Amino acid sequence: MSSEYKVSSEASFVVRVADLHKRYGSEEVLKGVSFAVRQGEALAIIGPSGTGKSTLLRCINRLTEPDRGRIWLENTEITNAKTDINKIRQQIGFVFQDFNLFAHLTALDNVRLGLTKVKKLSLKEATERAMIELRRVGLAEQAQKYPAQLSGGQQQRVSIARALAMDPKLMLFDEPTSALDPELIGEVLHVMQDLADEGMTMIVVTHEMGFARSVCDEVIFMEKGVIVEQGPPEQIFTQPKQPRTQQFLSKISELYGRTSS
Amino acid sequence: MQRLEKLELIWQSLPLLGEGVLVTMTLTISLLGVGLLLGIPVALGQAYGPRPVRLLMSSYERFFRAMPILVLLIVCFYGLGFWGIYVPAFGTAVVVFGLHSSAYQSQIFRGAIQAIKEGQLLAARALGMSRLQAIRYIVLPQALRLSLPGWSNEYSGVLKDTSFVFAIGVTELTRQGWQIAMRTREIFLVFITVAVIYLILTYLGTWLLERIERRLSVPGLAGQRREEHGRVI
Amino acid sequence: MRSRVRWFVAVGLLALVVGMIGGVPQAQTQAFKVCSDIAWPPFEWVDARGQFVGFDLDVMRIVALLKGYRIDIQNLAFDSIIPAVVAGQCDIGASGFTITEERKRVVDFSDPYWESNQAVLVHAASGLNIITAFKAGQIIGAQRGTTGADWVEQNVIKQGINVTLRLYETYPLAEQDLINRRIHAVVEDEPAAKVAVKTSRGALKIAGMINTEELFGFLVRKGDPNRLLPRINDGMKEMKRKGIWNNLIEAYFGVDVNLDRVAQCYADLKGWLDRNQPEAYAENLAACMSGQTYRRP
Repeated sequence: MSSEYKVSSEASFVVRVADLHKRYGSEEVLKGVSFAVRQGEALAIIGPSGTGKSTLLRCINRLTEPDRGRIWLENTEITNAKTDINKIRQQIGFVFQDFNLFAHLTALDNVRLGLTKVKKLSLKEATERAMIELRRVGLAEQAQKYPAQLSGGQQQRVSIARALAMDPKLMLFDEPTSALDPELIGEVLHVMQDLADEGMTMIVVTHEMGFARSVCDEVIFMEKGVIVEQGPPEQIFTQPKQPRTQQFLSKISELYGRTSS
Repeated sequence: MQRLEKLELIWQSLPLLGEGVLVTMTLTISLLGVGLLLGIPVALGQAYGPRPVRLLMSSYERFFRAMPILVLLIVCFYGLGFWGIYVPAFGTAVVVFGLHSSAYQSQIFRGAIQAIKEGQLLAARALGMSRLQAIRYIVLPQALRLSLPGWSNEYSGVLKDTSFVFAIGVTELTRQGWQIAMRTREIFLVFITVAVIYLILTYLGTWLLERIERRLSVPGLAGQRREEHGRVI
Repeated sequence: MRSRVRWFVAVGLLALVVGMIGGVPQAQTQAFKVCSDIAWPPFEWVDARGQFVGFDLDVMRIVALLKGYRIDIQNLAFDSIIPAVVAGQCDIGASGFTITEERKRVVDFSDPYWESNQAVLVHAASGLNIITAFKAGQIIGAQRGTTGADWVEQNVIKQGINVTLRLYETYPLAEQDLINRRIHAVVEDEPAAKVAVKTSRGALKIAGMINTEELFGFLVRKGDPNRLLPRINDGMKEMKRKGIWNNLIEAYFGVDVNLDRVAQCYADLKGWLDRNQPEAYAENLAACMSGQTYRRP
């Protein structure tokens, strides 16, 4: 049931994924996934746990090596062995489910490290830039605090700031609110919504159906390693074509209440 | 009267014992330095190296941990003599003890590396850091901090082990005490003094390391646990 | 003394570097290395000022003077000396070595320079004599691997007398147990036993002597590659001819000698050796050690 999405070479696509396969031992977690994301588009990937959504996201910046298939960031093929993956990763922001802030560094240093060590900015430039990003996520006051001194929501916002500081062409969010207490989810979603409104190209793996519906431009429903259905949120959430999508959404609404925001 | 004489004997022995302390401490600090310089690459090789490197580092570590220090000392010092290579005793001691300690220190350090969450390295790679950069800026600073309590143990351990070096003719604290005891026959008194000195040295060293540990401490760093999934990059 | 400390630090740092690049052969010096376990008065020990003193060492120093070579004295664990000589790390072993057939297989010995007998030490208040010291049921102490231990084994235990032989790593520990009256007697070399009696402040006494007639010799690498033995043997004869030998024996083994004086005596008199006058050194050392007036250089 792989998507028949045609791989186009149009420049307006920021990322294109073609026929992606990944196997862990005997289990095939990605069975030929293809899609593309346009400049400024926010794509939500939804679906049951263990269907390869996170693996797919990690394949895009090759934190996980795909077995087969090709991925492009604009006109550069990420999956080409000759591509300098470290150069590519600088252009792709990645936000982890459990934040992964560097435990021995303050919030400021977390944001600054990539700028000084990877982008080779001077400490002064890096500090200015880092403070701009911390201000953007509302944490300028907490710049000198260590991760353990911040709440989960604050940590996730720092990690978003850390990714944004690198000036990414694409932001990948891997269930950014799943590890948060319910009352902290809002502040993170708020930052992400602002980002989408500013026109950041992003792919968000999420269980927050409200967010997917109201913020994202496109939704992919994935199950068992394939894309079951893809379309604008209105279509997916109100008139899903596939029975599996319907079942999933009704189960979600049983669990979490209404899916509309 | 006799008690006064004994006090005087201890007082008069202090300069010689001081010489012994200097040798013991120079040796201890040098060997810990050598052990650290070698132990970190061994641990990194074991944790992140390709399979042949991991095997090599593991056999290195096992070899030196299995070898009694006295055997190593004698083999290196006298063994090299058979080949016409004459190395200074103190240098041999530093190198041999350093190799031995590097095996133990690599264990301490490897434990610390394993206590670092996998996600730390992932996040660094996701920023575009190379493996080496990620290890240097993320793994090392965290692992070194987590290793400090282990190094306290290693310090007090090797401090005592250094008394073996008289086998190759380096006169350290225990031997100085022995020489005084042989001259005066005040075995008990002299060795009580030596014991007190070792106690002070151990206490001072661990106190210093604790201070460093507190100085470098970062909230929440000690409480981390390893993630369950295996090596990712 | 301070220069020795600095030397240690300097050599330590240098050795660190040298050792790490794999060890560079030391430059061949003219001096021969004399290795000794310097913790065995009166043959060799470290005095209160940290000086290496004793009969063996003085013989080595004076023979070197007479025969025109230099020596460096290296303090080394007793068990390490023969391996070190065999490996070429030491040129001469001078540490009261008893000449044995077993040792002769791996090293060569000089002419004997000392004949040692075994003394039987007992507690002064015990009233034991050389016969009653070995009564059945007694505990006898000796240093492991020494002639004393061997003698008790062969001549007491194997003769069917039911004594317990307790072996110690080193005889001062045995003496300590004797003072504490945990054992009844100690069998050890006569000169060492005399030192023990003196330092025990009357707690110990020698109950009697056993003639084992062990001979001490200096030892060198098998085959004597440096042709040292003829020089040592010749030198010792010359010392005897010139009266130096007897004065040294007087200085270290004499009846009125107080070994604690050695720090002062050696410091005052070693200038005679520097002036190449071993006769004056030995004569004045004998006087100084027994508390008589002596002449400084």
